[in-house]
Amino acid sequence: MPGMTITEKIIARNSGRRRVMPGELVWVNVHTVMTMDYLGAQTFAKLHELGVKDVFDRDRVICVSDHLVPPPNEKFATLLNEWRRVVREHRITHFYDLGNQGIAHQIMVEKGHVLPGTISIGTDSHANTYGAVGALGNAVGVTDAAVAMATGKCWLRVPESVKFVVRGQWHPYVMAKDLSLYVMGMMHWNGHLIYKAIEYTGEAISQLGMAGRMTLCNMTVDLGAKNGIIAPDSITRKYLRGRTSHKYAPLQSDPNARYEQVYEIDLSKVGPTVARPHRLDDVVPVEEVEGIPFNKAFVGTCTNGRVEDLEIMARILKGKRIHPDVNMLIVPASQAVYLEAMKKGYLTTLVEAGAAIDTPSCAACAGIHTGVAGDGDIVLSAGNRNMQGRMGSKKAEIYLTSPAVVAASALYGKITDPRKLSS
Amino acid sequence: MKITGKCWVAPGYVMAYDIITQPFWTSPIDPKENARWVMAGVAEEFNRENGFTSQGYTFIVAGHNFAGGGKSIEHVITGLMGAGIRAVFADSFSRLQFRNAINYGLPFITCKDIVKGCQTGDQLEWDTETGLIRNLTNGNAFQSVPVAPFVAEVAEAGGLMNFIKKRIAEGTIGDLR
Repeated sequence: MPGMTITEKIIARNSGRRRVMPGELVWVNVHTVMTMDYLGAQTFAKLHELGVKDVFDRDRVICVSDHLVPPPNEKFATLLNEWRRVVREHRITHFYDLGNQGIAHQIMVEKGHVLPGTISIGTDSHANTYGAVGALGNAVGVTDAAVAMATGKCWLRVPESVKFVVRGQWHPYVMAKDLSLYVMGMMHWNGHLIYKAIEYTGEAISQLGMAGRMTLCNMTVDLGAKNGIIAPDSITRKYLRGRTSHKYAPLQSDPNARYEQVYEIDLSKVGPTVARPHRLDDVVPVEEVEGIPFNKAFVGTCTNGRVEDLEIMARILKGKRIHPDVNMLIVPASQAVYLEAMKKGYLTTLVEAGAAIDTPSCAACAGIHTGVAGDGDIVLSAGNRNMQGRMGSKKAEIYLTSPAVVAASALYGKITDPRKLSS
Repeated sequence: MKITGKCWVAPGYVMAYDIITQPFWTSPIDPKENARWVMAGVAEEFNRENGFTSQGYTFIVAGHNFAGGGKSIEHVITGLMGAGIRAVFADSFSRLQFRNAINYGLPFITCKDIVKGCQTGDQLEWDTETGLIRNLTNGNAFQSVPVAPFVAEVAEAGGLMNFIKKRIAEGTIGDLR
């Protein structure tokens, strides 16, 4: 009998089965359900529509304010008031509101609300991030979230698994983001990854810290996959120490597990990578877009707003000054990230270099909060999407890349290969 | 059952972002309301009130990753339903909207290469039992992937909300596995 992949094992364990097959539809028990300010009130309204007064477990419904805080206008302020009212009405234990906030996916991992071998869902597409700790993380709509909040259950289709084996060493200025974009450029949205489980493995993944793992799993939704996952190891255990008091039992893929496809990637072929406007799969090596001028630089989001991202930027910008024509906005992914980056001096370095730091939130990423793009803007962003209008104006262009490329490029006001900087 | 009607064929990649554009993401989820501006970002001709809905299409035919881009908003599905769409046939669907479609009972039917054999305005006939889709305008026929029993069960209940409500009332939630 063939073995099972880590994703299949997680679904089997949490649906009370010994094994599952790709294509099967099963009901699973979820460990946690996340909802946030933007869709949370709708989710709770759906819960009431089910005729249910209380959530299945007040400790396991996680509520986060991230898209709308602090409110830049009356509409958002009013939405937030309604959101806070329903969260309090349900006496939710873990409510991360302004002052204790962060981008929901960062909060879910950072505060230990996702655990190896379990399933967590959320009403925001980048819930795939949870795969970084060896959990199955899935984005759902408000109906699915309401059903899970009422019952602790969610239906899932067991995905086919696709494995990427990544070998080689990381160049200091090549990041997990570059690998994500490289995979996007390699695969496109032609059906090979749609609805699949993407498993990242190999020596290069074993060397990768939790921040890079979160970036890789986060972007799998943008590749069209159901989930992204990295098997838990000593880095995972160390990361989770002190973040959770729950016991957990990690799972690994069997050596004879079945994959629809296995791809090998040699990291020596992956350099700094850029997705051109307006398609995420229009991916090129940085060399092909070097010299293109831009006027806005943005680093933050659930993809690249972590301490390690700020660290590499601080290293590049230390003692230097960004180009006068560039507006640079940096948004740490959570209050904890903000504080740590402050204590380590990275924020001082970045501000001295001429960057502006904003309060942790989703910021300009979805085009609805701080730092949106206007007509004619050319944005160099370390976010996750670059479709037309994503960050605001349809007359803006977004180049998507890593924090290292954004930092190096900000010095010159044009796209620059960070490997060419004199140290 | 056989359903017959006119199809709209996607000229390229259709994103959820363009089916429901950003100003309507926080609108109430309501088929009538969401149908007024559905597809507004997909083509200039639809970018007016009831621009798509007034065309009277019954089916959408598309290529890969229909409704992709990663938006979870359910207005995408209710908008299409409100516009009179009875099924979408495509090479593949974005996962989030595939779920939403099942949860609302709008058939998202996987059908390889159908996009190559249809033009906007063609009359299609879909046999919901056999999965056979016939293009009555040009005589082409396509075999789609059959719908899983669970999907049919949810559609029959009138969507996941009703399906779950009934089970809560019966006390049979624990039986779901």
